[in-house]
Amino acid sequence: MILLRAALACLLVAALPAWAGPARYALDEQASTVGFETDFGPDRITGRMPVTRADLTLDFDRVANSQVDVTLDVTRAVASFPFAAQALKGPKVLDAATFPEITFASTSVRARGAGAEVKGNVTIRGVTRPVTLDAVIWRKQGSAEGDLSHLTIRLTGTVNRSEFGATGWNDLVSDTVRLDILARVARQD
Amino acid sequence: MGWRNTPDGFGLVSRALHWSMALLVIVMLALGLRIAGMQPGLSDLWLYGLHKGLGIILLVLVLLRLLWHRLSPPPAPLGPPGAWPQRLARWGHAALYGLLVVIPLSGWAASSASGLDVMLFDRWTIPPIAPVSEAWENAAWAVHGAATKLLMGLVLVHVAGALKREMDGDGTLTRMLRGRG
Repeated sequence: MILLRAALACLLVAALPAWAGPARYALDEQASTVGFETDFGPDRITGRMPVTRADLTLDFDRVANSQVDVTLDVTRAVASFPFAAQALKGPKVLDAATFPEITFASTSVRARGAGAEVKGNVTIRGVTRPVTLDAVIWRKQGSAEGDLSHLTIRLTGTVNRSEFGATGWNDLVSDTVRLDILARVARQD
Repeated sequence: MGWRNTPDGFGLVSRALHWSMALLVIVMLALGLRIAGMQPGLSDLWLYGLHKGLGIILLVLVLLRLLWHRLSPPPAPLGPPGAWPQRLARWGHAALYGLLVVIPLSGWAASSASGLDVMLFDRWTIPPIAPVSEAWENAAWAVHGAATKLLMGLVLVHVAGALKREMDGDGTLTRMLRGRG
């Protein structure tokens, strides 16, 4: 699994000397995934959603200065079996025809342990709710200590789809959706 | 006994349609109840495709049967035509045919309205016959459920009537089994 290999191969950024000042980062969309997972009876439904736009400012000196804005393309979501993708994009869940985007804007970022706690507002089906994501950050495998030019960020958290009105098939599919986001970013300047 | 119906006997075509549909209806009632009551997972999604596939086969069979009855009219119920058991039999048969059309159509409509592809046997996708809408879906499921319960009741009456008449010795069941009373 890519995620596990990245975790094993990379060193935690928190253990490195701090980078000075905020820096803008660009997302490598090809190497990044916004994954989700939910329970379907005894099984799981997994899927991914492509990122349309990501605005990232990371400040390792003052973590609170970091800012994340992300837009996802609901219309191009994929899931582990065809019915799940159709159900997901259909009017009873995400209603991609009316709400083609999911957006996330951070409101606060603070250092915690080896990573960070990212609080923000997520907008799904036009409904905005607060969400908290746990972030762990690694620098690129084989890079020199203190080199923060290429980073891998893993964000995890959960949302309850009923809070956004995405209630379709709630008798069959769990309300809680687990998010597992893997972002590979490169410093802009 | 030939393929066609005669004024007092069922031909091969009508009998084959009757018994194959009877078997399919019983399988479908059991399957439908199972699907309605289960907490599905990936391993039993195929049951939906099976139910939809068999449902469309039943729809085609009932339409063929109605068409065949135009080309080769079935014999009238045995006994005096104006008497209440004969009138009841005619009404009962008409209701059975109506339900056998309404049930698959309402299931197809409800599946269409859910926004998911209507897939037969996990293989063939058929076009939707209703707009993607929760109101349509709820209405079509309500019709599907109510019509199915009505069918269960009518099937019991139909079987009971056939057995009763056979025990009385009028040959109604024998006629559907062998063609002639």
